[in-house]
Amino acid sequence: MKHTSTVGKSNKAVMVLLILGLSTIIFPLYMTIVIAFKQPSEMTNSISGILSLPKNWSLDNFREAMEVTDFWRSLGNSLLISVTTIVLAIAIHSLMGYALGRNKAHSKFYNFVYLFIVSGMFVPFAILMMPLAKQTAELHIANWFGVILLYVVFYMPMNIMLYSGYLVNIPIALEEAARVDGASTWRTYWSIIFPVMRPMHATVAVITALAVWNDVMTPLIIMAGSGQNTLPLAQLNFQSQFGTNYNLAFASYLLSLIPILIFYAICQKQILNGVTNGAVK
Amino acid sequence: MKGKRAKYLGAALCATAAALSIQGCGSGSKDGRVEIEIVQYKPEAANYFKTVEEEFNATHDDIHLTISSPNDAMTILKTRFIREDYPDIIGIGGDINYSYFVDAQILENVADYEGMKDINQGYLDIAEALELIPTEGTYIIPYVANAAGVLYNRDMFAEHGWEIPQTWDEMLQLCDKIKAEGILPFYFGFKDTWTCLAPWNAMAVELAPSDTAKQVNKGQTTFTEQYRELAEKYMKLLPYGPDDPFAYGYNDACTAFARGESAMYPIGSYATPQILSVNPDLNIDSFVMPAADSADARTLNSGIDLGFCVMDGCENKEAAYEVLNFLYADEKIQKYIDDQNAVPCKNGDFRLASMLDGMLEFIESGNMTDYQDHYYPSEMSVDALLQTFLLEKDVDGFLKTFDTNWQRYNRDIIRMVQDYENSH
Amino acid sequence: MKNDRQRTFLLITIPILALFVCFNTIPLIRGVVYSFTNFRGFGKYDWVGFRNYIDLFSDARVGKSYWFTIKLAVVTTIVVNVISLLLALGLNSKIRAKGFFRGAYFLPNILGSLVVGYIFNYFFTYIIPALADMTGIKALSSSILSSPGKAWIGVMIVCAWQAIAMNTIIYISGLQTVPEDVYEAGGLDGATGWKQFKMLTFPLIIPFFSINMVLSVKNFLMVFDQIMALTKGGPAQSTESISYLIYNNGMSGGQFGFQSANAVVFFIVIVAISVAQMKFSSSKEEQL
Repeated sequence: MKHTSTVGKSNKAVMVLLILGLSTIIFPLYMTIVIAFKQPSEMTNSISGILSLPKNWSLDNFREAMEVTDFWRSLGNSLLISVTTIVLAIAIHSLMGYALGRNKAHSKFYNFVYLFIVSGMFVPFAILMMPLAKQTAELHIANWFGVILLYVVFYMPMNIMLYSGYLVNIPIALEEAARVDGASTWRTYWSIIFPVMRPMHATVAVITALAVWNDVMTPLIIMAGSGQNTLPLAQLNFQSQFGTNYNLAFASYLLSLIPILIFYAICQKQILNGVTNGAVK
Repeated sequence: MKGKRAKYLGAALCATAAALSIQGCGSGSKDGRVEIEIVQYKPEAANYFKTVEEEFNATHDDIHLTISSPNDAMTILKTRFIREDYPDIIGIGGDINYSYFVDAQILENVADYEGMKDINQGYLDIAEALELIPTEGTYIIPYVANAAGVLYNRDMFAEHGWEIPQTWDEMLQLCDKIKAEGILPFYFGFKDTWTCLAPWNAMAVELAPSDTAKQVNKGQTTFTEQYRELAEKYMKLLPYGPDDPFAYGYNDACTAFARGESAMYPIGSYATPQILSVNPDLNIDSFVMPAADSADARTLNSGIDLGFCVMDGCENKEAAYEVLNFLYADEKIQKYIDDQNAVPCKNGDFRLASMLDGMLEFIESGNMTDYQDHYYPSEMSVDALLQTFLLEKDVDGFLKTFDTNWQRYNRDIIRMVQDYENSH
Repeated sequence: MKNDRQRTFLLITIPILALFVCFNTIPLIRGVVYSFTNFRGFGKYDWVGFRNYIDLFSDARVGKSYWFTIKLAVVTTIVVNVISLLLALGLNSKIRAKGFFRGAYFLPNILGSLVVGYIFNYFFTYIIPALADMTGIKALSSSILSSPGKAWIGVMIVCAWQAIAMNTIIYISGLQTVPEDVYEAGGLDGATGWKQFKMLTFPLIIPFFSINMVLSVKNFLMVFDQIMALTKGGPAQSTESISYLIYNNGMSGGQFGFQSANAVVFFIVIVAISVAQMKFSSSKEEQL
C-alpha cells in the first residue's frame, strides 16, 4: 500500500485530537469520583477544595447509598424493565421498521403509517402524562409491565426511523434470492434481514437502554404508590429542595453507571462487527 | 424455525400481560386489619415517618399503617388523583396547593377531630385564610410550621459585639458595620429562584397586609400599591450580598454561610440541616427580619410547613383519626421538631432548636404572619419575577408585571371570588 | 408469492400500529380535549372553548420560551452534528485503543442529570471565572449562567456535551454500512481526506445524517432535563424551554389545561419542522 505513510501520520493526528477531546470527559468524571468519596464536611466552594482528593478513600458513601436506595432490589427492577424493553424493542421495532421501510417508497398507506408513527416522537410527554396515568390505571397495568409497554410505544418512532434508514442500504436482492428458494417473507425476514441488521440492533439496544435506564418520569407517574422503585426513582431520595446530599448521590450514580457501561461495551462490538464487507451494495 | 420462535414470543407476552393484569388489581386489607395510607410531601423527614410507621404497626392490631415520603410528592399525588387512587391521609404544606385541593372538594372536613382543640389558633387562622372562598369546615390539621427570617453566625456576632437589629434603619446600620470590618453581611443563592422569595416573604409580613392577595382578588387594591416599599427595600439589601448573587445556588449559599463567608443568611429555618452538614460546629441563631421603622411592627414570618388532611372518600375516618392521635402525641411532635428544627403547631411545652432562640418570643406570643407566597399560584413563578426584578432593578416595571400577571393567572379564581362576594 | 408478502406486511403493521394508537394517539387526543378546559390536573373543571389558545398567542412568556428553544435547538444541532461526525470518523479510523475511546466518549450520556447539573454549575460558577481572572479575560469573569443574555450558551454547551455520544453512535453505525472496497476504489483515484469524505463517505451515510438531524432538532426542541439540572429556567426566565414551561406550569403548577394547549401547538410546530426536514433530506438522498 503506497498510502501507508500518510495514513499513519493522519492517525497520529487523530489520536492527539481524540486525547485532547477526552479531557472534557475526564475532568467531570474526576470530579464525580472525588465527590463520591468525600464527606459533606469536606465540601467547599473553593476550587482547590473541590479538586483535592478526599481525606480517605472509604467506601462508606457507597455502602450508605446502596442502603438508602435499597440497591439490589431497585437494580433488579431497573434491569427487568430495561432488558425486557430492549428485547421487545429489537423484536417489534425492527419488524415494523422492515415492513414500513420496504413499502413506504411505493405505498401511500405505508408511507402514511410511517409518518404517523414517526410524528409520535414529537408529542410532548407532559401532555400524555395525565391521560396515561389514567389509562394505565383503567387497564390495571399501573405497574412495571405498563411501564415497559409505554417504553415500547415511546421509543417506537425513533427506532423505526433508525431501522428503516438502515434498510435503505440493504439491497432487496438479498431477499429475492431467498424468495426464489420458496421461503416466505416472514421466514426470509428472520433468517436473512434480521441478522444483517445486527449493527442496528446493537445501536437501538444502546439508545433504548440509555433512555430507559435513566428515565425517572415514566416510572414516577405510572408506578408511584406501587412500592416498587427503579434506580433513578430511588435516587430521587438524595435530593430535595432544602438539601441535597451530593456525596451520597454521586456515589449512587457511579454505581448505577456500571451496568450500562458494561452493556455498552458489549453492544459496541456488535455495532462494529455487523456488516461484512461486500454484503451490501 | 425462527418464525415459530417469534410466534412463541408473542404468545408468551400475551400470557404475561394477562397474568399481570390480574395481579395488578387492588390488594385488600391484610389479615383483616384496616389499611391506612399516608402520603406526605417532605422527603427530608422520611426517616422520621418510617419510625412512626413501624412504631404504630407494632402497637396496633386493628390498623395497618403505611406512610410514604416520595420525592416530588405533588406530581405523584396529582397523578394518583387523576386515576382516583386516593391515599387516606395526605401530609402537605399550607400553600396554594392546599387552597386548590379545598376548592376541588377532595378533602374531608376534619372539624370534628378532637385533637383540633390543642392546635395553636394562630395556625388554624392561617389555614382558614388559605381557603379561596370561605367554607364551613376545616380541612387541615396543622402539624409543624417553619419560620423565615435571618440566620446569623452567633459566634461571629459575639466576637464583634454586633447587636440584633430591631428596625429597618438598624438593619442597614448593622450591614454597614459588618461590611466595614471586611466581612460580607449577607449571602444570597439567587441562582435558585425560589430563594429570592425568602427575604421577600420575611419583609412582606411587616410591609404589606397579610391578606394582600385576597384584597386584590376582591378588586380592593393592587400590588403596585401594597408592594412598592417592599420592592424598594429589598433592592437595598443587594449591595450587602456577594458581587454576583445570581451565580450562586441555594447549596452554594448554604456552604458559604457554613464556612463563615458571610455573617448572615436571609433564609428559613429549613436551611439549617444543610448548613450543619457542611459545618456541624457552626453556632447558628436567627432573628426576625426588621423591615419596618418601629420595633413593634415586627412579626414573625411563619406558615404551616406540614399538616395532615383526610381525603374525601376515606372509608375509615375513625381509623384515620386513630392514626392522627398517634402522630399528634407530644413526644412524636417533639421528635419531629428535634429532627427538622421545626416549630410545633400544637400548644404545649416543647423544646425548640437553639437556632430558633431569636424567634422564641414571637412564637410564644403567637405574633406570626403567614408567607405571602402561600397565596401565589406556582405557575405565575413569582420567584422568577423577583429574580428578574433584582437583576434589572426596575421597581415600576416589576410591580406592573406583577399586577398584570396576577390578573392573568388568577382569572378563574378572581371570577369565583367576586361571584361569591356578590352573592353574600 | 406477492400476496403472501403483502399479507405478511399487513399482519406486522396492523397490531403494532394498534398498540401505538392505544398508548400514544388516544392519550394525545385526551390531552387535546383538556386543552379546551381550565383543568388544573385534579378536581372539577369548566370548558373554556378556545380561550387557552387565544391566551397562548398573547403570552409573552410563552413567546420568549419559543424564541429561546428554537435558538438553542438550531445552534446545538449544528455544533453537535459537526463534532459527532468528526468524532465518528476519528473513532472509526484505524487507531489504537479504539474500544477505550469509544467507551470514554460515551460516558457523558450516562451520567445522571443531577451529576451533570452539579458539575457544570460548579464549572461555570467557580472554575471558568477563576481561569478568566488568571488570564485576564474580562468577558468570562462572572458566571455565564447568571447573565440573562449569556445563560443559553451554558445550556447549549451542556446539551452538546451530553448529546454528542448518541449522535456519534448513530454515525458510527452508519459508517459501518460503507464497505471497505468503496474506499479502495476511491483510494486508487487518489481521493483522500476531505475529498474522500465529501465524494464517497458522506453520500453513503446521508440517511444517518438526516436521522441525526431530525433527532437532534427534536431532542433540543424538547430540551428539559438540562434546563432542570442547570438553570431551572433562570436567570430572569431567560432559559425557560417550552417543555420546561409545559411541565412546570402544567404538572407542578395548576395550569394543566392551558399548558395542554401549549403542548398541542408545540407538537404541531415540531411536526411541521421535522416533516420539512425529512422532505428536504429525502430529496437530497434521491439526488445522490
